[in-house]
Amino acid sequence: MTNTQANKSLGIFPVSWSEKRAGRIPGNIPIWVGILSELTEFGIFFVAYFVAKINYPEIFAEGPKQLNTFIGISNTLVLLTSSYFMAKAMCHIRRDEFKKCERFLWLTFFAACTYLCLKTWEFSWNDAQNIHTNTSQFFTVYYYMTFNHFLHVGWAACAILWVIFRLRKGTYNSKEHSGLEALAVYWHMIDLMWILIFPLLYVLR
Amino acid sequence: MNKFGKLEILWITLISITLFNTNLGENFNSTLIVSTIIALTTMFKGMMIIDHFMELKEGNKILRWMMRGYFFVFPMLIIVTMFM
Repeated sequence: MTNTQANKSLGIFPVSWSEKRAGRIPGNIPIWVGILSELTEFGIFFVAYFVAKINYPEIFAEGPKQLNTFIGISNTLVLLTSSYFMAKAMCHIRRDEFKKCERFLWLTFFAACTYLCLKTWEFSWNDAQNIHTNTSQFFTVYYYMTFNHFLHVGWAACAILWVIFRLRKGTYNSKEHSGLEALAVYWHMIDLMWILIFPLLYVLR
Repeated sequence: MNKFGKLEILWITLISITLFNTNLGENFNSTLIVSTIIALTTMFKGMMIIDHFMELKEGNKILRWMMRGYFFVFPMLIIVTMFM
């Protein structure tokens, strides 16, 4: 390959900046542009959280005590498990075990639905406790972060259904599965964001 | 992630750390020591997912260090805010 030859993933990067030198890119370049954009968005939320916490330490110490920790930890366990299911799906597609791959994708989808149901229950529980977006600075940040994350899980769950449809049509196999892998890394990014959100909102007091 | 059992060990480790952290947060006030433990274990969980679930350990170096940097900076801010 020459230096002018383009990267196969997107067609605009020279080989000097490609996977050959820098290492393999899981999924594809466009999904990583999306992931880095999402990380920037969540990064702004995290900065907002820390700035607000420094300015209102008492409110941020009291806020987590009013939340339903049981639902919070259940959601964490569900998301960690969903990441495990997604990683298993990746293992099976690499062995051309399509049925097993599909089974783990369905498990990931059901885990996503469980998360969405638990989160809806939590928002409803908060409402019953008279906790709203304007209750305090803590809950404003809480709703910004968690509702945004809720939306990400929602549309990623729809993407899982699309990938299952494509898998059934025979699009993916052990040699070509970049679309499935792109979804997998996106899903792990969503899990990563929750791993940061959970201690900030539910654990630290 | 092709070795059988590695994913399962990683999953159990992540679950165990989560339960430990929650127990710590529920039973103790967020002192410097508690916050530091929670920050470091959160950092560790993030690194595990980045390296093994996202498969960046043997993947693209730039992406790996960007992701690891992200999961270094934000958990570290937990500790930094304890001094402010």
